[in-house]
Amino acid sequence: MLAAWAAMFGAALTVAGCFAAGVLALRWSGAKLDRVERVPLAFLLGAGCLHLAVFAVMAARIAYKPVWWILLGGLIVTACVLKQPNHAEAQRTRRAADWTLAALFAVIFAAFTVMYVVNAWAPETSADGAGYHLGVLAQYLRARGFVPMPTNMYASLGQGVEMVYAPAFALGKHSAAALVHVAFAITLGLAIFAYGRRIGKPWVGAAAATIVYVSPVVGKDATTAYIDVATGAIVFAAFYWLQIWDEQRNPRLLAIAGFMAGYAFAAKYTMFVMVLYALLFVAWKTRRVRTVAIFAAGAVLTCAPWLIKNWIFMHDPLAPFATRTFPSPYIHTLAVEDWAEWLRRYDIPNLWSLPLEDTVRGRWTQGIAGPIFLLAPLGLLALRDRIGRRVLLLGAVLLATYFGNIGTRFLIPCLPFFALAMALAVQKWKPALAAMVAVQAIASWPPVILAYANQYVWRLDDFPYQAALGIASREEYLRTHLFGYERAKMIESQVAPQDKILDLAGLEESYTSRQVIAPFPGALNNTLMDVLDMVQQEEWQVRRAFVFRVPDQRTQHIRVVQTAQGKKLEEWNVHELRFYSRGVEVPRSSAWRIRAWPNPWEIQYAFDNSDATRWRSWQTGQPGMFIEVNFGDVEEVDEIRMFSSIDYHWDIRFEVQTGSAGKWTKVTDSFEETPAKPRGYMPRAATYELYAHGIRYILVDDAHRLADAFFDNPEGWGIELVARAASTSLYRILP
Amino acid sequence: MERKGRFLRYISGEVKIPAILFLATLCACQRVPEYPVPAQRPVFDASKIATARVINMDDPGATSRFVRDISPELSSSWRWGFKKPAVKIRVRVERQVKYIIDFTLPEITFKDTGPVTIAFTVNDRVLDTVRYAQAGYQHFEKPVPVEWIHVGQDAIVGAEIDKLWVSKDDGKAFGFIISRIGLN
Repeated sequence: MLAAWAAMFGAALTVAGCFAAGVLALRWSGAKLDRVERVPLAFLLGAGCLHLAVFAVMAARIAYKPVWWILLGGLIVTACVLKQPNHAEAQRTRRAADWTLAALFAVIFAAFTVMYVVNAWAPETSADGAGYHLGVLAQYLRARGFVPMPTNMYASLGQGVEMVYAPAFALGKHSAAALVHVAFAITLGLAIFAYGRRIGKPWVGAAAATIVYVSPVVGKDATTAYIDVATGAIVFAAFYWLQIWDEQRNPRLLAIAGFMAGYAFAAKYTMFVMVLYALLFVAWKTRRVRTVAIFAAGAVLTCAPWLIKNWIFMHDPLAPFATRTFPSPYIHTLAVEDWAEWLRRYDIPNLWSLPLEDTVRGRWTQGIAGPIFLLAPLGLLALRDRIGRRVLLLGAVLLATYFGNIGTRFLIPCLPFFALAMALAVQKWKPALAAMVAVQAIASWPPVILAYANQYVWRLDDFPYQAALGIASREEYLRTHLFGYERAKMIESQVAPQDKILDLAGLEESYTSRQVIAPFPGALNNTLMDVLDMVQQEEWQVRRAFVFRVPDQRTQHIRVVQTAQGKKLEEWNVHELRFYSRGVEVPRSSAWRIRAWPNPWEIQYAFDNSDATRWRSWQTGQPGMFIEVNFGDVEEVDEIRMFSSIDYHWDIRFEVQTGSAGKWTKVTDSFEETPAKPRGYMPRAATYELYAHGIRYILVDDAHRLADAFFDNPEGWGIELVARAASTSLYRILP
Repeated sequence: MERKGRFLRYISGEVKIPAILFLATLCACQRVPEYPVPAQRPVFDASKIATARVINMDDPGATSRFVRDISPELSSSWRWGFKKPAVKIRVRVERQVKYIIDFTLPEITFKDTGPVTIAFTVNDRVLDTVRYAQAGYQHFEKPVPVEWIHVGQDAIVGAEIDKLWVSKDDGKAFGFIISRIGLN
């Protein structure tokens, strides 16, 4: 019971803090707002301000509970004490009341709000929410601030929304963060409604707000610690402030519009288009450098901290997406590119089915926006209206980023604009507006969704009021609703805090305080998985040797240059590079210095005497890639053997060069390719490598491709079973 | 401030933007780092690795190796086997292995079934057939011909009892109690 109310209290205090910060910012802005729009705009602007304050707290490494009390309490007290200047405009529209329509919209809004609050209040069980959104935040809070996380590239994504979750999470744990997300959803609905009033079309606003608010993907997303609905709300607020500035032409409003556009980027990288759109809008409207500069200054204020953080921690301001320009030891280019390509496809058999997939099916793209969005082309009729053109243009700009990740939730920032366009298209026929809202509401009501959508669609499927209110045990709810919860508990009880765990079970990391390394999100992670998978994938092992004969070379520097152009995943990899003289291997010496390009940071894997490891270019093979050895003194070499795998068997070519920097001379470009086999027993060599990288445990799900191998042969792998829970084994790696 | 303005005045707009972009790109440039040769890793041999394994019925995850006719319910450290219980065992190293099984013919079943005959099988080939005339704990082991099994593949290790005991309470049929079974 206490945990439930702590969650509500943490969320309420954070929401109040956002609102208070927003009220103070509005006071400074001099904006003329009516009372309806004041609430959502204050909250969203305040969230942007609070996110910066939390960023500062994290950067200063002082994220202690009293700091949150002081920060939030201070904002609330200050906002209450300072008298608000009377900038309020007269209410924009007061048409003859249509009580039937008003009641319809209000009942729908209220019913869904109760559903959302209860679901968010129940313990957090979402994959990404309980996984990295709160997992990263939990690590920051344990460290009292930002710490580098080279094995979790999700920590490099913009965390503008998570920063707002931080105080709530610190005070009320997981559900508090989800409840703050619901607050973003409610304010998004209110903001759309208020915008309708501002343009003199309240029913358009009300209809669009309701259509978006009840959308199944919005409901599911908003009731978890995801960030998509919050991002959508921030984007809409940026648009809203731009429109207010366009009407009132106050430079401070322009700075706020820039601030919110930048905040949208801070929330999600792909929302950089909001900054571009707004920048062009301002430039087009004023054709003055000064106004553009004011807007840009606002945007930089919210964008720059994240770029700088990434530059310091990851050597890449846009990590993990700019590794070609900013290569770093922490991200493998090809791994990210391969992942990004998958995000553009999601394994959908037919991409032309996306409109149906995103609206009514949800089999592949995780969630549906609701059937009414099948009518989105109707919104084109709004092109005849000036406002219609604006919302359609921005909707299209935001939609362009969607194709970088075609999950339905990535459509959420577009939905308000398409919903407004649709409502504008039929604004003159109120029955049509009402029908659209009613159809969307009925089709989005959780029990109805399964009547037409895929049975596995990502949706709300419960009304867990007992767990939410703490009447039923929240612990028991987690045990029955979150498969990974028992695993997390097992880890907490079995693993010492300093020990790292390689997670092959997809653990929701926010529920454990231990250091968990997932298989994908980082260069080291990829390497560790490469080592393990190599044991079972024969073609990944040493299967061939490239033999270069270079008679009577006496040289201090030698290098092997790759000269062919590969395609996509065709890369260059080397398990071991060995040099010979008269049939005897030239012994490796501490005087040697080795270099490579690309991926110079992992070149030692090609010289470590282990066939369980390999240096990989982690970029598509291209001419000019090289491995270089400086022997430290002149050595006699007449043969080079480069041991490699056959997992990508492409037309690879090499050249051996001697000389030194800037003066390389080709010795040969011919070589013989001979079959080879790995030396030694691979399973033990693999776990030896894991141990050498500080990994002490492996958590493996029974369904994982390595589970049987571990179970069958623990002695061979050099591991011992420590515990089991929820179809998962925890193995300790023997030293 | 004035000096800065004067300086910038001599740079045309056409030059400024490319210059800024160039400087920004330079921030991405870095020297290729060089490293010493790392500590040389040992080469592990397979001589100390167990050839296969014997599965204890109370091993965590043992059920994932069951092929057929073994109760999923664990009673202390044993499980009921039915007509043709079998497990799969991965053979890891090319070496002579033995079939091993520890089992019990309980009094309660034996008094109804009388003596039973059990055939011990590997990959559905009968390794041996033994007639048991007394109830109680039993142990059986016997070398498996090397040509019956293959390295890197699962071997199906099983047994088949000729008579089942049928419970009068619920009509369920039982064979014998298994404690461990496998290859070693």
